[in-house]
Amino acid sequence: MRSAARTRLAQALQLAPAILVLGLFMLGPLLLMGYVSFLEKGSYGGVKWGVHSVEAYVKFLFERDFDDSLILNPDYLRIFARSFGLAVATTVLALLIGFPVALYMAMQPERRRNLLVFLVTIPFWTNLLVRNYAWILLLRNGGLVDGVLQGAGVTEQPLGILYTNTAVAIGLVYSFLPFMVLPIYTSLEKLDFRLVEAAYDLGAGKALALRRVVIPLAKPGIAAGCILVFIPCLGAYVTPELLGGGKALLIGNLIQSQFGVARNWPFGAALAFFLLSVVLLAMTVYALRFKQRPEHGA
Amino acid sequence: MTIAAGGRITAEGAAAAPETAIAIREVSKAFPGGTVALDRVSLDIRANEFFTLLGPSGCGKTTLLRLIGGFEEASGGRIELHGQPIEGLPPHRRPVNTVFQSYALFPHLSVADNIGFALEMQGVARAERERRIADMLALVRLTGMEGRRPNQLSGGQQQRVALARALAAGPKVLLLDEPLSALDLKLRKEMQIELKRLQRETGITFVFVTHDQEEALTMSDRIAVMESGKVLQVGTPHEIYERPARRFVAGFIGETNLLTATGTGGRTLRLGGGEVAVEATVPAGTSVTIASRPERLRLAPPGEGLAGLVEDVVYFGTDTNYHVALEGGGRVAVRVQNRGQAAGRPLAGSRVGVVAEPGAWQVLLD
Repeated sequence: MRSAARTRLAQALQLAPAILVLGLFMLGPLLLMGYVSFLEKGSYGGVKWGVHSVEAYVKFLFERDFDDSLILNPDYLRIFARSFGLAVATTVLALLIGFPVALYMAMQPERRRNLLVFLVTIPFWTNLLVRNYAWILLLRNGGLVDGVLQGAGVTEQPLGILYTNTAVAIGLVYSFLPFMVLPIYTSLEKLDFRLVEAAYDLGAGKALALRRVVIPLAKPGIAAGCILVFIPCLGAYVTPELLGGGKALLIGNLIQSQFGVARNWPFGAALAFFLLSVVLLAMTVYALRFKQRPEHGA
Repeated sequence: MTIAAGGRITAEGAAAAPETAIAIREVSKAFPGGTVALDRVSLDIRANEFFTLLGPSGCGKTTLLRLIGGFEEASGGRIELHGQPIEGLPPHRRPVNTVFQSYALFPHLSVADNIGFALEMQGVARAERERRIADMLALVRLTGMEGRRPNQLSGGQQQRVALARALAAGPKVLLLDEPLSALDLKLRKEMQIELKRLQRETGITFVFVTHDQEEALTMSDRIAVMESGKVLQVGTPHEIYERPARRFVAGFIGETNLLTATGTGGRTLRLGGGEVAVEATVPAGTSVTIASRPERLRLAPPGEGLAGLVEDVVYFGTDTNYHVALEGGGRVAVRVQNRGQAAGRPLAGSRVGVVAEPGAWQVLLD
């Protein structure tokens, strides 16, 4: 009995630092945010402590008419839809680019594979902000991409893609590509390539073997990669701000502006909570779909 | 193409004009880095026979199988399948199918979908596919398992699914790459019988790769013994065992006594103090290696045959092995069947004579 109690104490001590950090720096602020979203906004920013209101959540969908009746206001939904669309597009593009890369990496000899994994992680060594500024230099009119295309006679007009959604999508795909490549690579690396040979042997050409054997077996990695790209994209702030020029509002920028210029903390908090619930929903779907299945392999 | 139920008996097919299923002509394979896996190998594998490639690991047997399957390309030579050259054909266009060493069952598909994979690739309609899957399951005695995943099956069951999956494709030739090596001894014996039955019932040519000589002897119609990328001898199990042509073959298959003897110009060889009879004429004075099986020698009172001293007696149930040091140099094992009485048997340290049955000693090429 005593030794069992001691084991439990030892386990509790082992976990204590992590629980403390998560409690203080994650759960605490989160609860505070939740509380703030149900308060009334202060006149010059901040909140009126102790004055409760659901106004922030109402504001998300409705606006008040002159006679104080509620009318549906789709503006914020539209911003969510735009962010959602951009995140989906980024995820699809990252998947289309990332999957072949991961497949190529997984088929290399082991030493080369480790080198390639290392190369994929190199961008993390530089600050995201710096990398986004680099993209501004690349994408601006008269920038490197524009210069090369015009110099080669491919285009005659300046490209004009900086400060558009295209530039944002390029920046997001670039930023999050490693998050797509690495999980897919991990699942493909475990794949027994004799299964591919077996598929060929049984009459499948390359495309069919890919579709019927490789992709189904890489599914957990594909799903993990999509989640890892989709979720941060949904709330991305830096890239839309720099490469989008802040012209088309996205969720991340909207939330930021509520705490900044708009001085509406409760609304900002409510928006953040709405985003969080979408993310949690996606994670739950992923967990139910992929985590409970028995692991592959004989 | 379908599987003929209760097909021909291989021996009858072989007795008529034996058709060549696979003709391998001067095939070589060198890997980048300089390893020569196959060195000008030529073989004829007949239709409907159970043909085994036997040899130690690294002898090139699996490489040869992979060349037939289309997973590797030969560096030289020609392979024909029922008269058609198959160079350059990708695996999915070859009328051969493979049972892989590790089975390579698709872990994400059910047993039925694994077996039906090839049929699906061939565009066979669903109803027909299901009927053929059921036939295959019955053939390998796994009816009722169609809904399971491979990781829910035992090793032996996985093996059967792998067989059914390859056979469902309707191959002219089935390639089997050490399919029994992952099974325990009892299951392996069962599957040996099962494989032989399947081969007889389907009438398909089986090309079986193994390093297990006993497996090869039990199942095969013919065996090719390979070493270092070359085929050393091709023959029936009986021929390979009783008349090994080379030192390696004699040593690799079964227990063998190897001695060095000198030719006399006739059909006897001199060996230390004594003489042995062989079926070949060896020029006088030429030194040759001769081989015999322990069970084809017997012990006799001193004075008969080759004189020797019993060094060791090893009892193993059905038989006893007597290890005899010959007076003229060299040691031989003599196997005596145990029939109850231990009385009168020589003990270690006794002087004995070693007598050979006619034809027991073979002259070997090195």
